[in-house]
Amino acid sequence: MRRLLFVVLLLTAVLLFASVEDSIVQVGRTLEKNGIKEVRYAVWGSGDPNSVLRVLGIVEAARRINDIWAKNKINVKVIIRETRYELDFTQMYQEFLSKQPLGTAGDFLVNSYVYIAPLAEEGYLLDLTPYLEKHKELLEDFFASHIEVAKYKGKIYGLPQDTEARPFYIRKDIAAKVGLDLQGLDQKVLKGEFTWFDVYEWAKKTVQLGASQWGLIHRRGTAHPDLMQFILVFGSKLYDPADGKLVFDKEAIYKWLTIEWVFAREKLLPSDMMAWDWAKQVHPAIVDGKTLFDIGGTWYWTEWQTKDYYTDPKTGQMRGLKPEEVEQWFYYTLFPVGEPGKKPVTLSQPFMWMVSSKAGAQNPKYSALKSTYDELAFLIAAKASDPEINAIHSIISAHLPVGKASAALLANKEWLDKLYNLELDLDPSVKEKIAGIVKATVNPINAKFLSDVSYMLEHTNFPPIHPMYAKLAAIFAEVVDQVLRGQMDPAKAIDYAIGKINADLDLKASVKIINEIPKDWRFPAK
Amino acid sequence: MIKEGTSRKWELWAFLAPALVVVVIFYVVPLILTVYTSFTPIRNWNIQRYATKWIGLYNYQKLFHAIANDPSVRAVFLTTAVFVGCTLLVNVLGGLILALLTFFVGKRTNSVASTIWLLPRMSPIAVYGLVWYYFFHGSGIGTLNSLFLKLGLIDKPIAWGQAFIPYGPWSVIIFVNGLVGVSFGMIVLSSAIKSIPSEFVIAARVDGATDWQICKRILIPQIKWHIMYVTTWQLLSLLTSYAHTYLLVSWRLVNKTYGTPWALYVYDLAFTGVFDQGLAAAAGTLLVLVGGLLGFMTLRILGFGKLMVEPRGDI
Repeated sequence: MRRLLFVVLLLTAVLLFASVEDSIVQVGRTLEKNGIKEVRYAVWGSGDPNSVLRVLGIVEAARRINDIWAKNKINVKVIIRETRYELDFTQMYQEFLSKQPLGTAGDFLVNSYVYIAPLAEEGYLLDLTPYLEKHKELLEDFFASHIEVAKYKGKIYGLPQDTEARPFYIRKDIAAKVGLDLQGLDQKVLKGEFTWFDVYEWAKKTVQLGASQWGLIHRRGTAHPDLMQFILVFGSKLYDPADGKLVFDKEAIYKWLTIEWVFAREKLLPSDMMAWDWAKQVHPAIVDGKTLFDIGGTWYWTEWQTKDYYTDPKTGQMRGLKPEEVEQWFYYTLFPVGEPGKKPVTLSQPFMWMVSSKAGAQNPKYSALKSTYDELAFLIAAKASDPEINAIHSIISAHLPVGKASAALLANKEWLDKLYNLELDLDPSVKEKIAGIVKATVNPINAKFLSDVSYMLEHTNFPPIHPMYAKLAAIFAEVVDQVLRGQMDPAKAIDYAIGKINADLDLKASVKIINEIPKDWRFPAK
Repeated sequence: MIKEGTSRKWELWAFLAPALVVVVIFYVVPLILTVYTSFTPIRNWNIQRYATKWIGLYNYQKLFHAIANDPSVRAVFLTTAVFVGCTLLVNVLGGLILALLTFFVGKRTNSVASTIWLLPRMSPIAVYGLVWYYFFHGSGIGTLNSLFLKLGLIDKPIAWGQAFIPYGPWSVIIFVNGLVGVSFGMIVLSSAIKSIPSEFVIAARVDGATDWQICKRILIPQIKWHIMYVTTWQLLSLLTSYAHTYLLVSWRLVNKTYGTPWALYVYDLAFTGVFDQGLAAAAGTLLVLVGGLLGFMTLRILGFGKLMVEPRGDI
C-alpha cells in the first residue's frame, strides 16, 4: 500500500512538473536564439554544517535543467559559478544586503524567511508571484502555512526550502538518575500538564543531586528565535496582524525573564549562557550529559552525529555521536507551557530559496534578456524544490520537509537505501560533497526521528515578518543577557526594554506595548 | 612677463596641490557625503532609492530623542568620555615613559623592548582581539581567571568584561586599546628624543644631573611639540576607533552597554539591525563636530599657536 502511494505521488509529481519543463525548454530556446551559450549564477546559503544542500540543491537543479536542454537539443548550459556556504545566516544576510545594490551578491540567497520583509521592502528580491501564477501546480505540493510566510505585502518572494521544529530535549540517562519518568511525557507536555514550573523542579533536583552540572542549556547570542517560544507559551504573541504592529507583552515577557533570572541565580543555567561558544561549549555540554534539559532544534539530531562534539570517556578523544547513542540518550517534546491552561508550542523559521532582483546580471545582454534571466532563475529555484532534493536535505540535516511528496519519500525505505548507497541520479560533484554526511546520517533512526517530530508542525509558530523585528529581537537579546548575568532583575529589564523601544522613534511607531507586570505571579510557585 | 608674486603663488599651489587633492578626496568629500546622508532616509544600503529623498532634520530628531530617552545611548556618551580620556592618558603617558626608558637602557635591550611593544600594532586586529578574548574570558578557560584560581586569589571565575559594571568593561577596553596606542607614542617620542643633540645630555651628566633631572629639564621640554602631536592625534584616533572594541563586544566578552563608545554606536546603527545609514550619518556628523571641537581645544591648550610662530632668526 505504501509503495503504491509512493508510485502515485511520484507520478503526480512528474506530471505536475511537466509544465515547468515546458518553460525550461522555452527559456532555453530564447537564450539560444540570442546567442547565449552559458548562463552563470551564484548561490549563497548558510546554516548548520549538514545543510549544504541549501547551495548544492541549486547545483543539482542546474544539472537537471542542463539535462532537459540537452534532451531537447538546446545548446545552452547553466553554470553555477559560485556556491558559498557559511554557518552564520545573519552575517550572510548582511553581506547580501550590502552587495545586492552593487550587483555583486549571489543570484540566489537561501536564508531565513524573516529576511524577506526587509529585502523585499528594498526591492532586492524578485517577485515570484507572476511565475507561480503561471505554475500554480508548484504551490500545491508545499504546505500552505509555509507559502504564507513567504509573502510580503501580498506577494510571494521565496520558495520554501526547509522547515524545522524546536524540540525540547531531555537527557534520558540523567532523567533516569533523578527519577523523572519519561514514559508518555510528550503527551503530558502536549496536554499542558508538564509546565515550566515542573521543568524548574526537575532541573533543581538534578543539579542538587549532582546528576548533571546544569539543569538547562539554551541558545547563545540572540533571543531570536528559540527563546521567543517563552512569550508564546505564556499565551501571548509577537505580532498583531490586525494593525500590523509588533507586540511587546509586558506580562508574558516578565514571566519569561523571571524564568531566566531564577534559573541563572540558582545556577541551573549558566549566567553567561549568551556568550557561550556553539562548538566549544553549547553542543559539547549537551552531548557530554552536562544538562538535563536543552532548548534546541531538530537539526541538532544529525549535527551531533557529524560533528565531533562528544568526548569519548574511553579514549578521551572527541567524536560525533552514533545514531544509536543519540536515540538512546535524547528524549524530545514540544516546548512546555509556561503555566497551566496555556498551549505548548514549537517554532519554525523556514528557510527559503530567494532570487535576487538582479539575478543573472553578470551574464551577456543582461538588459535585453533580463526577463529571461529572471525566469530562468525562478525555474532553477523551482527545480531545486524537486521532492527528491528536498527529501535528501531533510534526512541529512534533520530538517522537516516542506512538501507532501518529499515527506512521502522519507517514509520510503527503498528510496532511503538508494540514497544511502548514493544510487540516486545526482550530479557527481553533489554526490561527492554529501557522501560523508549521507553515510553518517541516512539511517532508520534518523528517519524515525523526523517522522516522530513532524507532529510538532501542527503546533508551530513563525516569528513575525516585519521590517522592525530585528530591532526588537536585538533588545530582547540584550535584556536576556543582562538578566542572566544578574545585572537587571526582570522588572527592571522590562522598563529598560520599554525605554529602548520608546527612545527609537521608528520602533516606537511599530510596537504596541500591552498588559502589565503581574503582581501576584510567583516563580517558582513555592 | 610673469610677475614675481604670481610665480610664487603658482609654485605654492604646485607644491600644495597633491596634498590638497588627497585631503579633498579622502577627507572633505566623505565629510560632505556624511553630512548629506544625514539628511536622507538611506537604509539597507539602498542609495538608489533614498539618496535623493530629503527628510530634513528627522535623523537628528531621532538621534537626540534617543540620547534623551535611551539609557544605553547615555551610557555610550559616558563610555566614550571615559574610554577616550583614560586611553589617551595611557597612550601618551605610557608612550612617554617607554620612550624615556628606552633612551636610558642599552641599544640591544632598547630594540627588543620596542619590538615587543610594537606587537599589538603589528598583529592583525582579529588575532590581537582573540588573544585578549581568551585572556579575559569569563570562564575557567580564561588565562587571567585560570591564573588567579591557581594562586587562590579568587574562588570562582569572574567575567571581567561583564562584571563590576561599568568599571569591568571600561577597564578591559581601555587596557586593550591602550596597549595598541602606547607603541605609537613610544615610536614618535623615541625618535624625538634621539634627535636631541647628545651634547645637552652629556653636559648635564658632567654637571651631575640625575636621570630624572635630565628627563624633566632637557628631554621633556625639548619634545613638547611631539607630545602635543601625539596627544592630538591619539585623541582624534580614539574618538573614531572601534575595531578592537567591536570584536570584544560582539564576542560578548565585554558588556555591550558600557563597552560601546560613540564610534562603535555609529557602526552599529549603520551596519546592524535595520541598517539605518541615515541615522548613523547623523551620529557620525555629531562625532565629527565633537572631534573638531576637541582637536581645536587641545591645540589651543597645548599652545599650537606658538609652534607655528615663525622663528626669529636669532640663535
